[in-house]
Amino acid sequence: MAFGPFSKQDHLEITTLGMEFAVSEILCTGAGYWLDQKCGTFPWCLVGGAAAGFALGLYQIIRAARNMAQQTKFKKVETKDGRR
Amino acid sequence: MDVAEIISHHILDHDWGVTLSGFRLPITTHTVTLFAVSVILLLGLHWISLGRQSRSGRLLTTLIEEYVTFIRDGIVLPNMGQEGKRFLPYFCTLFLFVLCSALAGLIPNMKTATANISVTAALALCSGGLILYCGLKFHGIAGFLKGFIPSGTPGWLVPLIFPLEVISMIIKVCVLAIRLFANMLSGHMVLICLLLIIFVVGQMHIAAGAGALLPAMGLELFMTLLELLVAFLQAYVFTLLTSIFAGSVIHTH
Repeated sequence: MAFGPFSKQDHLEITTLGMEFAVSEILCTGAGYWLDQKCGTFPWCLVGGAAAGFALGLYQIIRAARNMAQQTKFKKVETKDGRR
Repeated sequence: MDVAEIISHHILDHDWGVTLSGFRLPITTHTVTLFAVSVILLLGLHWISLGRQSRSGRLLTTLIEEYVTFIRDGIVLPNMGQEGKRFLPYFCTLFLFVLCSALAGLIPNMKTATANISVTAALALCSGGLILYCGLKFHGIAGFLKGFIPSGTPGWLVPLIFPLEVISMIIKVCVLAIRLFANMLSGHMVLICLLLIIFVVGQMHIAAGAGALLPAMGLELFMTLLELLVAFLQAYVFTLLTSIFAGSVIHTH
């Protein structure tokens, strides 16, 4: 069952976004921490990793929103043209 | 044993492997469950494929046909198109395997193998391999790599966007594993915690423990039914997400 202009697949992708954000944040922060341990630069790589993870998570959300908006626009045009 | 130990004993894997001439055979409850599920599925599906003419045989054959049609028309074709038809056996296997592994955990003395991050990571790696194969098969190496750059991206942004897109794809596969693992683990943790309410309250006063028996068992029953739903839901979600990611690689914009 789909609500609003979104398809069932869109709903599923939306539920994944939160976890994708969290995983990118954790992975990048972890990589930063690991680099800090290797290079002895604590806490700069950790902070940089956390910022990079945040940026990556935001990028994923913005891209998914853009893709969904694009698909919804296509569907509206198709419905208006009577192609469906 | 305190409460934390009981919970971890119920949730975690137990290694009772044997060492044969210096080589350790890691026989654990999760591997036993995995093998049991695999053997039962293999033998059961083989028996069904023989096409018995008995009433139950015909019923099971129809059931499996309906199942394959559902995976094809409900999951594979809408997300991957006609190109996805050749991968139908993988999706059918994936759904049934994840479902049966989760359902096996509801049988007393058996464990949910998908509540182990190694198992879900292996399943996600298989799905990641399929996504990679689809990309390489339908677009070639250059086309697959080009698909990571969204259309209309300015040239100077490509060195920044390309690694972001590659990492995003890797994260999507990681999320597949973590989602299944977290759902299965948390469900079973809640089940054991609800049962432990009786004993924890009972330690305070025996009458209170007796009073907590009925509500705790009611909640336990509800959660078990919810776990049954979650088993089907997670198998569906894992399969559907794999097909969506594979489809997005096949039909790049």
